[in-house]
Amino acid sequence: MTIVPPAAIIEVAGLRKHYGELRAVDGVSFAVRRGEIFGLLGPNGAGKTTTVEILEGLRAPDAGTVRVLGIDATRHPDRIKERVGIQLQTAALYPFLTVSEVLDLFRSFYARSRSTAWLLEALDLGERRHAQTRHLSGGQRQRLSVALALVNEPELVFLDEPTTGMDPQARRSLWDLVLRLREQGTSVLLTTHYMEEAEQLCDRVAIMDHGHVLELGTVEELVTRRFHERAVQFDTLPGLDMAELAALPKVKRAVIEDGETVLYTSDVAATIGALLARTETLGQDPANLGIRRATLEDVFLDLTGHALRE
Amino acid sequence: MQALLRLTIANGRSFVRDRNALFWTFAFPVIFILLFGAIFSGGGTTTYRVAWVDQDGTAASAHLRQAFAGVPLLRLQDDSLSAARAAMQKGDVRAVVVVPAGYGAAVADAAATGPAPNGPAATSPTGPPGPAVRLELYTDPSQQASSTTIRQVVAQVVASLNVALTGRTAVLGVTDRALQTQDLTSAAFLVPGILGMALMQLGLFSAVGLVSQREKLILKRLGATPLPRWTLVGSNVVLRLLIGIGQAVLIMGIGVAVFGVTVLGSFWLMAGIVVLGALAFIAIGYVIASFARTEEAADGIVQVIQFPMMFLSGVFFPLEIMPSVLRPVAAVLPLTYLGDALRQVMVGGSAYAPLPLDLGILAAWFVVCLGVSARFFRWE
Repeated sequence: MTIVPPAAIIEVAGLRKHYGELRAVDGVSFAVRRGEIFGLLGPNGAGKTTTVEILEGLRAPDAGTVRVLGIDATRHPDRIKERVGIQLQTAALYPFLTVSEVLDLFRSFYARSRSTAWLLEALDLGERRHAQTRHLSGGQRQRLSVALALVNEPELVFLDEPTTGMDPQARRSLWDLVLRLREQGTSVLLTTHYMEEAEQLCDRVAIMDHGHVLELGTVEELVTRRFHERAVQFDTLPGLDMAELAALPKVKRAVIEDGETVLYTSDVAATIGALLARTETLGQDPANLGIRRATLEDVFLDLTGHALRE
Repeated sequence: MQALLRLTIANGRSFVRDRNALFWTFAFPVIFILLFGAIFSGGGTTTYRVAWVDQDGTAASAHLRQAFAGVPLLRLQDDSLSAARAAMQKGDVRAVVVVPAGYGAAVADAAATGPAPNGPAATSPTGPPGPAVRLELYTDPSQQASSTTIRQVVAQVVASLNVALTGRTAVLGVTDRALQTQDLTSAAFLVPGILGMALMQLGLFSAVGLVSQREKLILKRLGATPLPRWTLVGSNVVLRLLIGIGQAVLIMGIGVAVFGVTVLGSFWLMAGIVVLGALAFIAIGYVIASFARTEEAADGIVQVIQFPMMFLSGVFFPLEIMPSVLRPVAAVLPLTYLGDALRQVMVGGSAYAPLPLDLGILAAWFVVCLGVSARFFRWE
């Protein structure tokens, strides 16, 4: 029997999962192509983890169809588990076993497995191989948890907020690893609430909030679809009200993000000139004045009315 | 099978490295048994009180009594047979010697006929020619040390008397009879009880480990692998059974080595009871794990169950001396039946219930709890 690999490694349609009144996942549809890194981006509680756990066969949906590797994940979860790698959002480890013991244990569960040495090397855990997992730092536990997702050389890897708790260097090196996996033909579905992570890694992104997919596409598409203008930003000054700022020349919108005022404008020079003239009358200088293009963060804010990290 | 083995090894390593678990599983019962054994076993005895039942009442039997009274190791007290047996049950005497009616006549006969090659067959109608008359000696096989000593002493006295009576023929013999006593101060009572207690704790505390693995999402993570769930449960149960057998060996070893307890029963029957008891309590542990949401809650439930059970199931003292209000409670507790079964098979103590009933009730607890946890156990 030959199985023709489908173009889509994951196909989700009309997915629903409610917990009482809470509509954790409320009609989600998307497809992940074989060999791509696909990101589910959204704040905590958006429904990302519930969606991923349904795809992993760990939860049954209330409605909708899920095909993973061409297999119905709700009816035959066991057929999928051999071929996918799963990293859970919270690292789940035997506290009294060492790093290499945990890896060896999980390797014994699969017909096909990578060597412990490869895994220790890939996740930079060689020095901690004989440490019991209860003595690992948060970032090290997270890396071990990612290593466990790779033991069976999976065709598809689910990474649920993989860089949470990692320092910037570890995060960077995990990104490199994910990109290397893609080069080897592995498909990756990752959830994150780090905009930068999605921008760096993901071929395509689905933005989720309140159990819905709000927008889907490449990062470039998502940004240009919405923002032709650029952003002028500076540390928010007392005495400047938003209505006044929004009325400055060429400003389309004015918002406050993380203590910064952001003015979206179609003409940077005109807007900055007017802004500086205004602040001079207040006897103040706008600190950290800068110009940038719109980002995923802006897209998210525009879509939902609230910031990604809250 | 490979995965089952690996998982069992992994669980075993986790167990061995968790000092807390090790303490409660092995050190705690050992401390208990040493402590209670020392308290209950009392000081060393240099003389044994023996009840003397003279059913003959002749000069010859009085002469025999003198011969026994002359042995420094024995202190005789005269009694009727029923009173003597009761005294032995209470632990007042260690043994009972019965001189049967007709003793005097038999001795006189032997003296009259003189040395006879085959002995007088007429006075021993059953079996081959033997002693003309037999004393009955009751000792308690679970009190190995004292019983052996008494039997040897009695045999020596009888042998020298034979020589004195006839010069050669065995006129007098001894029939050994076993009489199980309820000696409360005996380590023999305690050892099976402590083993039952240890198995109870082993099973119940498996709930805490399970809930902890569930809270730490280890069960969920294992559920995300192709590992079948029976393997998960299986490795847990296999490990617990191995630990239970280890506990049995340790506790019985201490009973034998330190307190001189004689193990009577068959090894296989005992191993079977240990396994059945452990299974029943592991199943109860799974039920607790099915309803406890946090590790702390599971621990609390286990404590609430195990402490009363420890004291209400006849682990430390016989159920007969328990207040009658509490007896119905004891009658439903599985530890009552595990302790009773172990005691019957290990040291042959008097039974609370027939052995098949003990085993049946343990099996019933196992089956019911298995069903309940199969229905309600949650993996995350």
